[in-house]
Amino acid sequence: MAKKSPGEHKAAPMVEEVSDFEILELAVRELAIEKGLFTADDHRHFTEFAHSIGPLPAARLVAKAWLDPKFKKLALEDGVTASKEVGIDWLNPTGFGTPSDYTDLRVLEDTPTVKHVVVCTLCSCYPRPILGHSPEWYRTPNYRRRIVRWPRQVLSEFGLQLPENVEIRVEDSNQKCRFMVMPMRPDGTEDWSEEELAAIVTRDCLIGVALPRPDRKQNAQRPVHKAIHPVQHDH
Amino acid sequence: MLTPTRQQVLRHIDLVGQLQPALHQPQHAPFPEAIDHALFRAYMRTAHDVGGEPDVPIQYEEKEEEQWELNTYVTCECLAWRGLWNAEERRRRQNVDLGQTQYLGLPYYGRWLLSAARILVDKQAITLTELINKIDEVKKRYE
Amino acid sequence: MNKSHHAQKATGKGDPQCFTGEAGPPKFKVGDRVRIKDLPDIFYTRCQVYTRGAVGEVAVVTHESPAPEDEAWDNVDRPEWFYIVRFKQSELWPDYPAAYANDTLQTEFSERWLEPV
Repeated sequence: MAKKSPGEHKAAPMVEEVSDFEILELAVRELAIEKGLFTADDHRHFTEFAHSIGPLPAARLVAKAWLDPKFKKLALEDGVTASKEVGIDWLNPTGFGTPSDYTDLRVLEDTPTVKHVVVCTLCSCYPRPILGHSPEWYRTPNYRRRIVRWPRQVLSEFGLQLPENVEIRVEDSNQKCRFMVMPMRPDGTEDWSEEELAAIVTRDCLIGVALPRPDRKQNAQRPVHKAIHPVQHDH
Repeated sequence: MLTPTRQQVLRHIDLVGQLQPALHQPQHAPFPEAIDHALFRAYMRTAHDVGGEPDVPIQYEEKEEEQWELNTYVTCECLAWRGLWNAEERRRRQNVDLGQTQYLGLPYYGRWLLSAARILVDKQAITLTELINKIDEVKKRYE
Repeated sequence: MNKSHHAQKATGKGDPQCFTGEAGPPKFKVGDRVRIKDLPDIFYTRCQVYTRGAVGEVAVVTHESPAPEDEAWDNVDRPEWFYIVRFKQSELWPDYPAAYANDTLQTEFSERWLEPV
């Protein structure tokens, strides 16, 4: 099989090129279904769930907490119960949750003197049900090696420089708890609605590598590595 | 003042930071006395434990997901949902058991995929012969 | 086939909630100073090497669960308490800049890894 250079996308190959991963994936899935380890319906059902998750519920949870002190208290004490108010039941889609993410969400509250940032140095633990799939950079050995030891250098590479008197608190997520950051509400957002507020709480803010700003609704621009056969969203 | 344990741990992290997959420098099995405590610990290191290893800044990137990557994630979760393994068994297999060369050398979901294939064989849900024949058959569909 | 615990045990409850009440009383409480043991490295753990021998403070008593060293082989018979421990970065990294003496790191341990200071 010809090796493709990173980022190269062949528009219309004469012969469909299939990678070893694609072949093995199909082989494993077909065998698992043939042997009755799970059903094709199970796979479809979980795929629909995987398509449905993203960072918006976590952003809404933060916005709601900014507006409602009672909800904020609940979010900090019991993240799983608070998640229900933004439409996320951590027991979905199996009845006991997503096997890899468990069901113990912890919300980390930033203050004027404490700034949280999340990593999983051992793999890529991430609160998928409420935040979606983790970004590629979060999974790299590079981020995992460095953020625990040189957090200020790494955060400055993300465009975030904080004064000495702010305690940077790295949360190395390594067991069954899953973490999201509740950043401080920025100035210039007085009288904003929950929806307007949620729009500035980006995924990067929820991991802790960015701070929300009234003028920013996107993650910082980074190169995007294109897929050869990208995920099809057919619904 | 650093305790002896802290001194040892910090020296260890420096050493394993240099222990990279040796594609072009095969290590011939040494005599036992060549493996002192520090080297034994370095070789026993669980490959996923990278926190604090020295590394240089890189460009952090986003990535579009391949269809096979999503399918692999879902297959792994379905295997856990229906009770073939739990997530901790999966992490052990895909982040530690495969060894450092594959750990650092394969794509993220490539490791998920190999651990799924491996669990089917190890828990005797399929034979390795069945897996080999299936891969061969799937390959031929695309020839 | 050996059925792993999740499907049987965690339905309707979640994991780690399905292990609640199985570990007895927790040995440590919030605020306790603890040292991370440097147990032998072999085959699997989720106790990062960079924490071994370091002293920190219990920040959260989280939940009961089997330790990863057991659960990674589907052994869930002996749940333990888990704790989030907070370290000064200067405790973990001797070269951490003194200007940022307030910086901290938190991570989680099963009880077997902690000893009182």
